[in-house]
Amino acid sequence: MEGTFFMVLAACALVPAWLAVRGANLIHAALWLGASLLATAAVYAMLGASFLAGVQVLVYVGGVITLMIFGVMMTRRHEGLVALAESRHQGRAAAIAVTLFAVIAQAINATDGLDAPLSAPVSANGSALGRALVVDHVLAFEALSLLLLAAIVGAVVIARRRDPPDAREAEVPS
Amino acid sequence: MTLAGCLTLAAALFSLGVYGLLTRRQAVAVLVSVELMANAANLCFVAFSRFRGDVTGQALAVFALALTVAEVAVGLALVILLYRAHGDTRVDLASEMKQ
Amino acid sequence: MSPASSFALVAVLAPALAALVLAALPALRRQGTPAAMLCIAGSLGAFGAALAALSRLAHTHTPETWSRPWLQAAGLSLADVGVRVDGTSAPMLVVVTLVALCVQVFSLGYMHGESREAFGRYFAYHALFLFSMNVLVVSPNLLQLFAGWELVGVTSYLLIGFYYRKPEAAHAAVKAFWVTRFADMGLLFGLLALFTASGSFGWEAQLSPAVATFVTLMLFLAVVGKSAQFPLHIWLPNAMEGPTPVSALLHAATMVAAGVFLVVRAAPLFAQSETTRAVMLVTGSVTALFAACLALVQTDIKKVLAYSTCSQLGYMVAALGAGSVFGGFFHLTTHAFFKALLFLAAGSVIHAVHSNEIGKMGGLARRMPLTGGAFIIGALALAGVPGLAGFFSKDLVLEAVEGKLGSLPWIALLATAFLTAFYMGRVVFVAFFGAPANDHAAHAKEHGWSMRGPLVLLATLSVVVGYFGGDLAHLGGHAYHFHFTGGAALASGLGLAGIGLAYAVYGRGPREAPAIIATVDRIAQSRAVNRFYEFGFRRVTLVAADALAWIDRYVVDGLINMTGYVTLALGSRARKIQTGEAPDYVLAVMLGVVAMAAWVVVQ
Repeated sequence: MEGTFFMVLAACALVPAWLAVRGANLIHAALWLGASLLATAAVYAMLGASFLAGVQVLVYVGGVITLMIFGVMMTRRHEGLVALAESRHQGRAAAIAVTLFAVIAQAINATDGLDAPLSAPVSANGSALGRALVVDHVLAFEALSLLLLAAIVGAVVIARRRDPPDAREAEVPS
Repeated sequence: MTLAGCLTLAAALFSLGVYGLLTRRQAVAVLVSVELMANAANLCFVAFSRFRGDVTGQALAVFALALTVAEVAVGLALVILLYRAHGDTRVDLASEMKQ
Repeated sequence: MSPASSFALVAVLAPALAALVLAALPALRRQGTPAAMLCIAGSLGAFGAALAALSRLAHTHTPETWSRPWLQAAGLSLADVGVRVDGTSAPMLVVVTLVALCVQVFSLGYMHGESREAFGRYFAYHALFLFSMNVLVVSPNLLQLFAGWELVGVTSYLLIGFYYRKPEAAHAAVKAFWVTRFADMGLLFGLLALFTASGSFGWEAQLSPAVATFVTLMLFLAVVGKSAQFPLHIWLPNAMEGPTPVSALLHAATMVAAGVFLVVRAAPLFAQSETTRAVMLVTGSVTALFAACLALVQTDIKKVLAYSTCSQLGYMVAALGAGSVFGGFFHLTTHAFFKALLFLAAGSVIHAVHSNEIGKMGGLARRMPLTGGAFIIGALALAGVPGLAGFFSKDLVLEAVEGKLGSLPWIALLATAFLTAFYMGRVVFVAFFGAPANDHAAHAKEHGWSMRGPLVLLATLSVVVGYFGGDLAHLGGHAYHFHFTGGAALASGLGLAGIGLAYAVYGRGPREAPAIIATVDRIAQSRAVNRFYEFGFRRVTLVAADALAWIDRYVVDGLINMTGYVTLALGSRARKIQTGEAPDYVLAVMLGVVAMAAWVVVQ
């Protein structure tokens, strides 16, 4: 039962992922990525990481995908046209991807003890994870908050429109 | 549901990401592929956390999630900059390193 | 470190410091007079230290060496660098620093008309020269001596070419450099052979007869070049293009004597080869006579003195060839003083009459009594008049040569003594007596204290230094006691006869030169030796050089250019890998990841 459900979820993650990397429409690709991430969130929940599943939905599907769609929309040249995502070098990319998958799958196959059914979830609620985050790994947690702040400021600085000096002077009312 | 299944799913997602990364020309599409790869890595963290009965893997996944968000923010800012500079977001236009 | 060697080290380092400061501070150098004062202060310090080292040595009578290993490799050092104070180097150090000091003080007046930049440059070269010469003199082995030898060669080049805008001066500098450079090759080969045979650069090595002959002949080649011996004497007359004080210091008193000094220094080596000493005896006497003949017909006062220097250096070389190390060294010492005196007096005259030609002088003894007196004292000392410095040393040389090789060298040197007295008498009578030749000569005046002081000091020394022969010999461990012999009487008689003849020919006003002199003049005008070299240079050296240049251009350079071309071609191919496009780099990263993962799995 559980195995079948996992297979379904896996298919729900892989098919949208395929469409996300192959689709010709950029907006659709971003949305398919969201679908794949949602399926992954379901897998997290199955694995007992319900807090992480929630975060995944909120941050990824709610934040990142939205951001990406904004990004696509802000960088479109022609109003009303579909944003196209071109693909190229498909043969060699496929070869590399398939080889990589084969190598990893072979590694998984060759390792013993991975086929045993997983044990019961560690913690149903998020308290153990909370302790791990802000007690055991508090330094990393704080460093990461600093990194996020830097990324936000950096993104603003990078993307800010730099007006040429003469244009700014022209705005002064005469 | 086994660890091997989860890892194989993660490997498949990662390989799809690699495929996208190598084929896509639009910067946002490249970011989509990168997100897919990061997601695959996160899935591994969570699966191993369950396998070992230890929440540290989940904590790492949270951290990785935050890192990904930061990366997307900066990445999209760069996409906007690229668009402003070239009027397009194809990554192969940014070949100033060659000069 | 013992006191005497510390003093000697100070004598080396004081001018080095002055030269370094003048080299490092162009602003100070271009000030002129302060630079000169710094240089003279360095020389004064060096002279004081040299004197202290000499008195210390006279007190202890023990040679002292202070040295540090140099070029160490695998626990062995190639040679030592340091200072050695003994009966040869200490007196030489005093002579060099004293003459240098006199010349530098004299230059204050003589070079006064130069621009401030040239003035400073001149004294910077002087400081460098004194340092180089002192390095040569105090060296504890032949390798350091070689370094000093080349350094004085460079400073000689710089000072001959001091008026580098003047084509003759530039040409003379290059000529001097090339001729001595050719000869220095001998020193290098000799040193290499010495090192191969004995494993050191010391001069006390015992060599097998064949090796000893080779080594000493090679060293003697360098001596022939540096001390302007026949047939490599040709550079010295041209070197007179430099300022006269430079001629006094480098090309009369000290640098050209370095060759003789080398033989004195390496006397234990030269003692081992009969053949080399015979070659030296012949070369020395031929040079002495030949150069004296050429000096007879020169009309340029500096050229007369230049050929006279060649001739006197021939004396020294002959003495060394005859086995009398002290005879050569003693004559070197006395000659340094009276020849520096002669050159400085000549410089004083030239400065007054604005010409080098003795025909444009005349009657100067009355207008410039001090300069005239100094020149006459120098000339008498050079002529070997009894009681003056040249008499004692020349007598010692003649005594040593007497009876060697069938007495031919002895006769040649006696003839030289006669000719020397004659040509010096000629210069004195033409330039200092009779009627002034023109307005410049008629209104010549003595110069300031800076030019007169050194003349007085050197004149005094030219008179008295001969009496210190015994002490000098004692310091060096030689035995010398002057005794008046028949040879001495003959030599001084010939000298006086030469002066008398000069008076008879030139003493009563200008007169047609005797037929014999005219013949010598024609020979001298033919420049036979120079023309031989010019032929050799054009027909042999240049042709060979052209052939070598072709090989260098097309074979050696071709190889090098090909290396460069191949590198460039490879580089421009490799450059294409770098497209500058992010997707290509991503592709490379992915290939790497796959390869690494596969490798891990296969492991």
